[in-house]
Amino acid sequence: MPARETVLITGAAGGLAGIAVSNLAESYDLVGVDPRPLPKGKDFPGEFHVVDYQHRRMGEVFRSHKVDVLLHVGRIPVGARLRSSDRYNTNVLGTRNLLQLARRHGVSRIVVLSTFHVYGAHPHNPGHLLEDDPLRASQTFPELRDSIEMDNLVRMFLLQNPSIHVQVLRPVHVIGATIQNYISQLLRNEFCPVLAGYDPLLQFIHESDLARAIRLSIESRKSGVYNVAGEGVISYKKAVEASGARAVPLPSLLVYGALGTLSRFRLGFPKHLVDFFRYSAVVSDEAFRREHGYQPAVSTIEALRSLRSLRAVVEPPHTAT
Amino acid sequence: MGWKKLLIELGLTDAERRRIDDAQLDINSAGFDDWGLDPETLKAALAVTRWIYTDYFRVRASGLSGIPEGRVLLIANHGGQIPLDGMLIGMSLLLEARPARVVRGMIERWVPGLPFVSSLFSKMGQIVGDVRNCRELLEKEQCVLVFPEGVRGSGKTIFQRYQLQRFGTGFIRLAMETGTPIIPVAVVGCEEAYPSVTSLKPIAKLFGAPYLPVTPFFPFLGPVGALPLPTQVTIDFGAPITFQGDPDAPESEIEEKASRVRDAIQAMIDESVKRRGGRLFGGGSR
Repeated sequence: MPARETVLITGAAGGLAGIAVSNLAESYDLVGVDPRPLPKGKDFPGEFHVVDYQHRRMGEVFRSHKVDVLLHVGRIPVGARLRSSDRYNTNVLGTRNLLQLARRHGVSRIVVLSTFHVYGAHPHNPGHLLEDDPLRASQTFPELRDSIEMDNLVRMFLLQNPSIHVQVLRPVHVIGATIQNYISQLLRNEFCPVLAGYDPLLQFIHESDLARAIRLSIESRKSGVYNVAGEGVISYKKAVEASGARAVPLPSLLVYGALGTLSRFRLGFPKHLVDFFRYSAVVSDEAFRREHGYQPAVSTIEALRSLRSLRAVVEPPHTAT
Repeated sequence: MGWKKLLIELGLTDAERRRIDDAQLDINSAGFDDWGLDPETLKAALAVTRWIYTDYFRVRASGLSGIPEGRVLLIANHGGQIPLDGMLIGMSLLLEARPARVVRGMIERWVPGLPFVSSLFSKMGQIVGDVRNCRELLEKEQCVLVFPEGVRGSGKTIFQRYQLQRFGTGFIRLAMETGTPIIPVAVVGCEEAYPSVTSLKPIAKLFGAPYLPVTPFFPFLGPVGALPLPTQVTIDFGAPITFQGDPDAPESEIEEKASRVRDAIQAMIDESVKRRGGRLFGGGSR
């Protein structure tokens, strides 16, 4: 029997890592890192280090463990209550440091969780965005620059290091019973604002499907950039209804104005996400489905309904379907 | 949504509803297809507008049975300032084709930025007209409608009626690349419905529009003058044309193929206009 492989997972104190880890702990030895300490009452199924990814001490983690797989899900999203320079340092400098360390210490596979937000919601988007489409989110929202730069950094690394399997995953809106991102929290409200006159298409992926997608990526020995989506598209208004909220139409000028003011105090809802309630950004994940044998198990409607349940409704299967 | 169901019940017969439900659409659990088509919205829209097709323009459609199954490109003449022709072609395939087909119109690039219109169009299966969307739709066996004249056709005046303008060639390359049969479509009646005598280009430019028509009734009679006249409309669907060869051939070769389609449509239009004679408003209600 081959020795168990070690997965180093970033953002280990966060929800996304928790979801990914639940699907990996059985088959891999896990090492978690995060600049944040573990929240009270939360356990990590493996060794856990509080460390900044760009800090020298990160090297010590690589030296003391024989890391086979780097799973970088620790991107800090826009809207986190953090100075933008700190976010930039973690996302860009931190990612660069992680990649360099991975190369030096003989890591064989790297999976990085980017986001489909990098494409931006734009009226000129094609019907289905492909992985080589322009990342124009920062045209309208400069604050997304670090997310785009991070995505670019990994793609450059991918090209320069053909001996390492590097994958960039760009998932659509992740929702589920346990995840605490902006979109899930918004849809858990009793009332959800919709922009009057706009009802664009959205895509959602259930957290358990994302966990499976991550596992498939880790197990596959491939390099590439992949969009990862759920079952299919749904209009925003229908999504609001399916999640059990009530849609409240508001004039878009008012919404953008109010959010502009609030954001100065680092409050409110990130504007770049509101744009997805105005224009469609629909990705095609055909490449990921074809090359990884991925098939989402949770339908869009089930995923939206699960937002309000207290526990994950669907137990993720451990094998590829 | 209750009101959509009500509209559909009131406006469409059982048979019509069933036929649209039987149209080969790939609908997900949320009720949409991959491009955002929502059949319920489409049916509701058809229910409230079908009188425009049957009673206002008294549309006569012929040749629908010659439209092959699977991927197909409808190539039509464009006229009459507002895309009534596109709407009526779409309605004819929903109401009269067996089986019903959802026509994918290739809409202008600025439409998705508009409130209300953008989401309605998307739910009715209309998509921004770029090459990539069109290719993908054909590869997924859809029925795509293209006006190769573009605004050159729709913006022309009544004095140029039924004279086909220059055809773009992109549709030929796409048809060859994807092995798609082309159906020439001739629409007669829409040009007189909106008899533009000139276009106020400078004012149109202010709004970013390609043209602003002036008819005997618009803008002088205000919004009422903007209503199209109740001409009779005929839509003829011709026999499929298939092109073989290299889709990357030089433009001159492609242009030659495009003009073959253009000539076929022009011949159908001339025939239809001749048949109609002077009876612009003829043909009783159906």
